[in-house]
Amino acid sequence: MTAPSASSASNAARDLERTLRTNAPDVLAALVRRYGGFGEAEDAVQEALVDAARQWPTDGVPENPRGWLITVASRRLTDRRRSDGARAARERIVTIREPADAGSGGEFDDSLTLLLLCCHPALSRPSQVALTLRAVAGLSTAQIARAFLVPEATMAQRISRAKARLREIDAPFAPPAAEDLPGRVTATAHVLYLIFTEGHSTTAGVGLADDSLAEEAIRMTRQLHDHLPSADEVTGLLALMLLTHARRRARIASDGSLVPLAEQDRSVWDRTLIAEGVELIEGALPTGPVGPYQLQAAIAAVHAEAIPAEDTDWPQIELLYRMLDDVAPGPFVTLNHAVAVAMVDGPAAGLVMLEPLMADPGMRRSHRLHAVRAHLLEMDGRTDQARDSYATGARLATSIPEQRHLNDRAERLRDRSA
Amino acid sequence: MKYVILIHSNPDPWGHPTAHYTPEGRAVSAEDHLRMDREFDALLRQISDSGEFVTAQALADPASSTIYAWGPGGNLATDGPYAEAKEQLAGFFVIDCETRERAEEIAAQFAGPGSTVELRPIMSGDAQDA
Repeated sequence: MTAPSASSASNAARDLERTLRTNAPDVLAALVRRYGGFGEAEDAVQEALVDAARQWPTDGVPENPRGWLITVASRRLTDRRRSDGARAARERIVTIREPADAGSGGEFDDSLTLLLLCCHPALSRPSQVALTLRAVAGLSTAQIARAFLVPEATMAQRISRAKARLREIDAPFAPPAAEDLPGRVTATAHVLYLIFTEGHSTTAGVGLADDSLAEEAIRMTRQLHDHLPSADEVTGLLALMLLTHARRRARIASDGSLVPLAEQDRSVWDRTLIAEGVELIEGALPTGPVGPYQLQAAIAAVHAEAIPAEDTDWPQIELLYRMLDDVAPGPFVTLNHAVAVAMVDGPAAGLVMLEPLMADPGMRRSHRLHAVRAHLLEMDGRTDQARDSYATGARLATSIPEQRHLNDRAERLRDRSA
Repeated sequence: MKYVILIHSNPDPWGHPTAHYTPEGRAVSAEDHLRMDREFDALLRQISDSGEFVTAQALADPASSTIYAWGPGGNLATDGPYAEAKEQLAGFFVIDCETRERAEEIAAQFAGPGSTVELRPIMSGDAQDA
């Protein structure tokens, strides 16, 4: 077999990309500290990453990759300013020295400052997501655009708009005020959650070497957790991601259709990720007030421990959904809660909970409400109504795998009643 | 979430922007056309700046189209517009919005004299956990 050489070459490319990306936030932070101007610094870092990706495979990886990147990015930045006459006055010649993080010092790490800056409340959510992926995860605009299936120009616009907005409001590269920190961390957690969900739900390859967007989200959440180990909701979010990601190999069938939780082959769930997720959530739950990420992680942990699915501790899950409904009420929480209630008290009890949702015009357009209702009607033996609900859900679905799944269910019930 | 905004219209003669060539559009004063064109430009600028604009195309006269129909003896091609359509597809815009409400807010502004606008979600290959 001649494959090993090819695969070791692609492994090397992957390692290189990972080295570059993990260094990107520190390099950017160092540049912003030295020269100010987040937007320009960010462009310079991207250029340095491109230079490295071109030179390192032939010249070899430098002994101090971060120092190399800082030097090159700084040169790129000063070249840029030199060519920009209006900025000539601000130009400074600086000796590049290591360590990169000279000037940070405090307990508030630069890479955390950077992450919180990218999730600044003045930016729209899609801009926060795009900027975080570029500045913190070190992805190129083209990679981010591919992951979100939009043209590069659209994604470039979101990123440059975000940078312009930060410049406009003169957002400092500094830790937020103590009273703002909890709110900023919550917003950042939400951005990471959105990135994870995007990666988790994508069934097509996103072209990010070996790493999926979901893994990038886990990596960044892990960093956030390392910085703020006592922020229980961050711990909860990390646990939720790990426990969800553990099921990735079981949730898509070979034909691309979605496999529901109850029907997944639980032997292919990643036990290492589950063990880590369970440990994290067990550590976080007893301390302080319990937030929505911790509760969702706790629910995922109960599912993860049920092998086979029949062993699921539904009363426990029902209780957790009731708590989630207290801290973060919403129609989709009610929807999931209704399933748990149906598993504990029977489908009729679950269906009663869905009635107010069926009266809500916005929810009536959600395929998920009809899918859940169909499932409970089927459990209740009301086959004809169940089939109609599956069909309604299928019509409203905007995801091809989900539509296929719901159409299959409707079809199966048609066969049964025929 | 991505949506397509479909512009259905029958400009005569075929032309873009369609509102300048439809009977309803001709009844509108020059100042009003100017104002509407400016508003539309501002909308396009806004959604381009925000990164919500994905792509757009204006379509040629339906008379220039070729229709293919599947047939047992081979596919059949005929020239000319798709006769079943009462209103022709004149162009489309693809937008990527955070919420359906935002997509509706944008799409509503695309309606013009003599054209009907249709907002439809674009199917994705994504699979969320049920």
